[in-house]
Amino acid sequence: MQSEQLVRELKKILSPDKVLYEKLDLLSYSYDSSFKARNNRYIPDAVVLPTSTQEVSEVMKFAYKHEIPVTPRGAGSGETCGALAVKGGIVMDLAAWDTIEEVDTENMQVQLRPGVVHAKLNEHLAQYGLFFPPDPGSSKMCTVGGMVANNSSGLRAVKYGTTEQYVLGLEVVLPDGKVITTGGVKSRAIKNVSGMNLTKLFIGSEGTLGVVTKIRLRLWPKPKARGILMAVYDDLENAPKTVLDVYKSGILPSGIEILDSSAIKAVNEYKPEINLPDAEAILLFELDGNPASVEWEGNEVARIAKNRAIKVEWSTDPKRMAELWQGRSVTATAAARVRPDGSRVFAGEDISVPLNKVTESLRRIKEIGKKYGIGVVNYGHIGDGNVHTAPVINPEDSAEVELANKLVDEIHRTAIELGGSTTGEHGIGAVRSQYAREEHGEALDVMYIIKKALDPKGIMNPGKLLPEREEQ
Amino acid sequence: MLQQVPAVKDLIRKCVRCGQCRSVCPLFKEIKNEGAAPRSHVFLTQLLRDGELEPDSALARRASRCLLCKSCSKECPSGIPVDQLVVAMRNHLKDHSKDNVKRLLLSKLFKDQKSLKTAHFLLKTSQVTGIKSLADKTGLLGLISSDLEKANKLTAPVSGKMASKNIAEVTPAKGKRKVRVGYFLGCATNLFYPARAHATIEVLTVNGCEVITPKGLQCCGMPHIANGDVVSAKTMTENNFKLFYDFDVDVIISDCASCSSMLQGDYYDQLFAEGLPAAVTHFKGKIYDLNKFLVDEIDLNANLEKLPKTTVTYHDPCHLVKSQGIKEEPRKILKLIPGVELIEMDGADQCCGGAGTFGISHYDLSRKILDSKIVSIMDTSADCVTTSCPACSMQLGHGLVEHDLKLEVKHPVEFLAEAYRKVK
Repeated sequence: MQSEQLVRELKKILSPDKVLYEKLDLLSYSYDSSFKARNNRYIPDAVVLPTSTQEVSEVMKFAYKHEIPVTPRGAGSGETCGALAVKGGIVMDLAAWDTIEEVDTENMQVQLRPGVVHAKLNEHLAQYGLFFPPDPGSSKMCTVGGMVANNSSGLRAVKYGTTEQYVLGLEVVLPDGKVITTGGVKSRAIKNVSGMNLTKLFIGSEGTLGVVTKIRLRLWPKPKARGILMAVYDDLENAPKTVLDVYKSGILPSGIEILDSSAIKAVNEYKPEINLPDAEAILLFELDGNPASVEWEGNEVARIAKNRAIKVEWSTDPKRMAELWQGRSVTATAAARVRPDGSRVFAGEDISVPLNKVTESLRRIKEIGKKYGIGVVNYGHIGDGNVHTAPVINPEDSAEVELANKLVDEIHRTAIELGGSTTGEHGIGAVRSQYAREEHGEALDVMYIIKKALDPKGIMNPGKLLPEREEQ
Repeated sequence: MLQQVPAVKDLIRKCVRCGQCRSVCPLFKEIKNEGAAPRSHVFLTQLLRDGELEPDSALARRASRCLLCKSCSKECPSGIPVDQLVVAMRNHLKDHSKDNVKRLLLSKLFKDQKSLKTAHFLLKTSQVTGIKSLADKTGLLGLISSDLEKANKLTAPVSGKMASKNIAEVTPAKGKRKVRVGYFLGCATNLFYPARAHATIEVLTVNGCEVITPKGLQCCGMPHIANGDVVSAKTMTENNFKLFYDFDVDVIISDCASCSSMLQGDYYDQLFAEGLPAAVTHFKGKIYDLNKFLVDEIDLNANLEKLPKTTVTYHDPCHLVKSQGIKEEPRKILKLIPGVELIEMDGADQCCGGAGTFGISHYDLSRKILDSKIVSIMDTSADCVTTSCPACSMQLGHGLVEHDLKLEVKHPVEFLAEAYRKVK
């Protein structure tokens, strides 16, 4: 269908202000945070901004009939082109649909529409003493709908897990426009094993099976206290060993983060006032709970860490905690500072390895960086083996871009070789599906069957999650 | 030219398009689609720079849709000064912009003291007899547009004389002279808030400052650069600094957030790509917002008489809190005054949507942002609104009128002057 005709038809379905088609608007929907989108323009033919299930359903019925690709989108903060129309067609921007419909405090759950921003949700829930625990670094802008589609997590996944542990049910518009509810049409149960677990099928499916239009989340009581411990190492090997020591002592911190020497250097260059100690590695432990338990656990972790670390600091002072935690939270940004004319690119940034392979993966990534002459900054959620690598290049130099692509490929292959995964939390999108067969073997064929069953015409976010070559 | 702007040349590549700017942009909050996200401005600037987009009116219109409030520039983890990029775009696209009324108003009326007098006359006439009658009289009929109507609505009432009429070039310090202060009397304070200008001079002189207010001062250039006219902004900046230099003042202060922000060099990268003039360099680190100067730089005379009991709330102008990091200083002044009680409003540092001339060309958007600000003000039940920027004052004043609220908008210095006056 020609773009103009498409826009005309969409305006019959939705009010005209909910259809975007001006060139500058369409260009604004051609990017996300991925490296791939920096060098490619994925420009949709139209953008729609529905704010009701019926509107979503009508658009899907129309797209299904005419076989037009539809790409659901949250805040576009992803790193994998997940919300980009790589095959053209319609981008369905759900971010403006941001209603928190009901906080059911008695049943500790919330019902909301997909566009609610994560930080806003938790701000709202704070008045009830409740929270939705997964905490992506993009909390300020990412939508809960996007989190469901990508099964997002973050710094505190080590204790609180990922989004899937909190989703009790979903309303989903299928590719043909049909609307279903997973997790029970009327259910407000927290435990529920009735029927196949369709909720989990849609979580993390990256918008390839349908459009999530309503989310029912389980909530947790918000912890009252928090403390931060920093442990400094002159030998990288000792850092993951401390993590295991802490687990063995029966303590489960809410976050365990690592910065290697490259990240320490980057942070100190970016914000000298943070003044991290010059070392091979730094671990940051976060403990949360009730004041007495946090104090006890903090002292215990300090005692354990001292066995291997050259320096340990434990604090519950809000100012000092903020300083220490800032050391970690600014790393993603600080990475670019290791090179004044460079930029951090999001590629190969999210591998996940077994706990006992973290050190090896960090060492090998450093070697790969050296091989290609690219500076890499390493940090990540060591508590669950999720390593973040930040290659720093000049993204406007095509030779460097080419080298970076090779570097990234080697990082992904290293993850698989070490018994890990190419992505711990950011997803596959259009950037990692080439590893699918190697990662999943014959299970990939089952994924194709599921995709075909739910989306026989292949209009739902095509070009994502599954390798294209084999898709048909 | 666009390619030569440092931010365009060196910093665009640092944008990873994470989207964190979406979380703070007041316009994005209203428009709610990606085309309004600050990172979209960064991206479109990149495309324009690289020739993937040609200059046209659609792009100029898009570039005009920014408050230059710096919320995103301050929030950006990669340190992208998005407002610098927007200003560079506006300058590059000025021949494609259709903001005729704004341009005319700025180039003819907001330039020097002589043109301000004309503005003063026109405003006074229009406010007495209505905009249409003014247009008839001056032959501006061809320019009558909804924009001009809006401009008229948004401007504060003009009454009496312009401040500069009653301000001598040199006002001596009361008692021993401690410092020679150059007072940058901005256009909006001069035109719309003469009492504020007089209060500034009173407070400064009471505190041992000799105040120099050069007659030849021109506009600080912020409205011009915000509308893509870098050349005028540059000429005016050079003129102003030369005047202060010739008067040999120790410091320059302004009671207008935008003026002090501009004078401190917010856009010097674009004004003086070839290097700063000597007079500008001379005053580096010596330019202050009035609140900051009073609180941090001089030993403030604390001999204040009690004022009638008043509750006030304070609105942070973007060009103070985001450009200059000034938040506590105006509050310290208010708390110093016996009888005045400060009640904080929610989101005091949220933009009011005024943004100089933005409200004229984007009235509806500006109004939406203003309305949430007015709600926050109402929730405090304060008797008076204070802020440190005449543009914000006008915008807030307009909002208060539209909501049938009879609150005054003042600068903290006006309360301070009143409390000093009572001592006498």
